[in-house]
Amino acid sequence: MNKKILIRVLIAAAVIISAAVVMSLSKPPIEDLTARISPELIENARTSYSETTNNYLVFNIARGRNVRTAETDTYIGFMGNIFQINDGFANSMANILFWLPALLNGTWVTVSLTIVSVSAGLLYSIFIALGRISKFKPLSVICGAYIFFFRGTPLLMQLFFVYYGLPMINPALTINDKFLAAFIAFSLNVGAYASEIIRAAIQSIDKGQFEASHALGLKYGQAMRLIIIPQSIRRLIPPVANEFIMVLKDASLVSIIALSDLTHTTRSISSSSSSVLVFIPAMIIYLIITALFTFVFNKAEKKFSVYH
Amino acid sequence: MELIRTEKVCKKFNQLTVLNDIDLTVNEREVVCIIGPSGAGKSTFLRALNQLEIISSGKIFIDGELFLHRENNATVSRVNQTEYKRLLLEMGMVFQSFNLFPHKTALENIMLSPIHVKKIKKDEAEELSRRLLADVGLTDKADEYPSRLSGGQQQRVAIARALAMQPKFMLFDEPTSSLDPELVGEVLIVMKKLAESGMTMLVVTHEMGFAREVANRVVFMCDGVIAEEAPPNEIFSNPSNPRTKQFLNSVL
Ligand SMILES: Nc1ncnc2c1ncn2[C@@H]1O[C@H](COP(=O)(O)OP(=O)(O)OP(=O)(O)O)[C@@H](O)[C@H]1O
Ligand SMILES: [Mg+2]
Repeated sequence: MNKKILIRVLIAAAVIISAAVVMSLSKPPIEDLTARISPELIENARTSYSETTNNYLVFNIARGRNVRTAETDTYIGFMGNIFQINDGFANSMANILFWLPALLNGTWVTVSLTIVSVSAGLLYSIFIALGRISKFKPLSVICGAYIFFFRGTPLLMQLFFVYYGLPMINPALTINDKFLAAFIAFSLNVGAYASEIIRAAIQSIDKGQFEASHALGLKYGQAMRLIIIPQSIRRLIPPVANEFIMVLKDASLVSIIALSDLTHTTRSISSSSSSVLVFIPAMIIYLIITALFTFVFNKAEKKFSVYH
Repeated sequence: MELIRTEKVCKKFNQLTVLNDIDLTVNEREVVCIIGPSGAGKSTFLRALNQLEIISSGKIFIDGELFLHRENNATVSRVNQTEYKRLLLEMGMVFQSFNLFPHKTALENIMLSPIHVKKIKKDEAEELSRRLLADVGLTDKADEYPSRLSGGQQQRVAIARALAMQPKFMLFDEPTSSLDPELVGEVLIVMKKLAESGMTMLVVTHEMGFAREVANRVVFMCDGVIAEEAPPNEIFSNPSNPRTKQFLNSVL
């Protein structure tokens, strides 16, 4: 990725994050805000009410006698000022700021699920890959079957099975924690995909490296640990980064078990606000995370290629 | 005292017979060069000695012990596991393509096996490795990665790496064949020094000058058999086998 674009994305992320922090810190007293609404406005309003949400004060001021036909003006009090946010850009921005805390909660679920699932999946995958290339046939067959199963069935179904299916087989297998259920399904799935990545990387290492290890008296395990796997890592990073970003997006499948990840949160906001506006900040958040992780993986790849 | 002896060693890849009844003895402090055309089975023979290939039949004696005896692709007998490991470590191997570990520096390449196989202390291993690097004339390249070294330098590191295990004899498989002509000399000098220091060496080579100068015996291999075996002055000036003559005419 281009460095300039990345810097811009990072700046945008910093702005958004600081905005969210400022918003959660500044909670102007309601009296303070109402005092600033012009007396004229209050005068004109037949019915007026205010509501405080997390961080802001929202006024809905209706004009007209009949509540049903009354036009409603919305004002938002923010950092000691009153803004009319009936429509237009200001309204959209205010809404987005308003949704941000919920979206960031969802983001945290998505990112943490991705990180723990990919990390655990990578750990399993080393053993699955070694098992797969092992000369001990039964082990190789079992690992092959594992890979075949998890790559051959939809992740959605695997997730569904872990959360809803297991308790039906045996109530003792009930997993109450949605995050845990998602983690189990995702890490097993990553294990299958990543083991094929690792197998390919190991098998791409020159045979001479094994031969030299043998000639120097290294055991198979030592040759793997000291010689082959360290050399595979650099080749592993790009496909693992790819897998990571796939999982980040596949994490939206957890909606099916009603785990409030970023996508699930976005959808509930969208339906409660009957607007699709919330998809814009949600997608921007996805892009920012992807950009950040791409950056990290690129750095890692550079670090591991010092000897080239 | 014989260090290596093979008796009727055969190696088949499926139907292809690559080694056919190879009988060869290498004595302590002897330098034996194997020459012969491509596909003769020279590499396969060296690889069979240190178990990179498993022979189909025949006997291999190392350091006076029956190391491996196989008939019809089945093992008849083999030394016990600890002896097997010990004898395997008596052979150092140098490959045509160096096979240095690219993610380790020159020094780390040499230290790796003493530390992880011989379990000697890290500072002792480092001292040994630096001494070996000095012996091959690469004192100042200790911290370079192989990719930053020339082919000749890489092969010298590879020789030092094999020597770090203090083998009783060294197997060289065309150590200079993948080098640019101007880099061949520096590797041959190191090998010559090693021979003069009394190391037992079995060298597959196309460097006839080296064979003539350093070898005690030259073995001509062709189509999986040893066609002729004689001291260098004899084989080069007066080969008894017409195939040897033909081969030498084509390379000299
Ligand atoms: N793993 C293998 N499987 C099948 N055939 C093989 C294998 N290794 C070697 N061979 C065959 O064995 C024969 C001898 O090979 P070898 O490498 O020992 O020859 P060489 O004398 O070292 O030749 P060169 O001078 O080209 O290195 C060749 O015909 C080769 O194709
Ligand atoms: Mg060869």
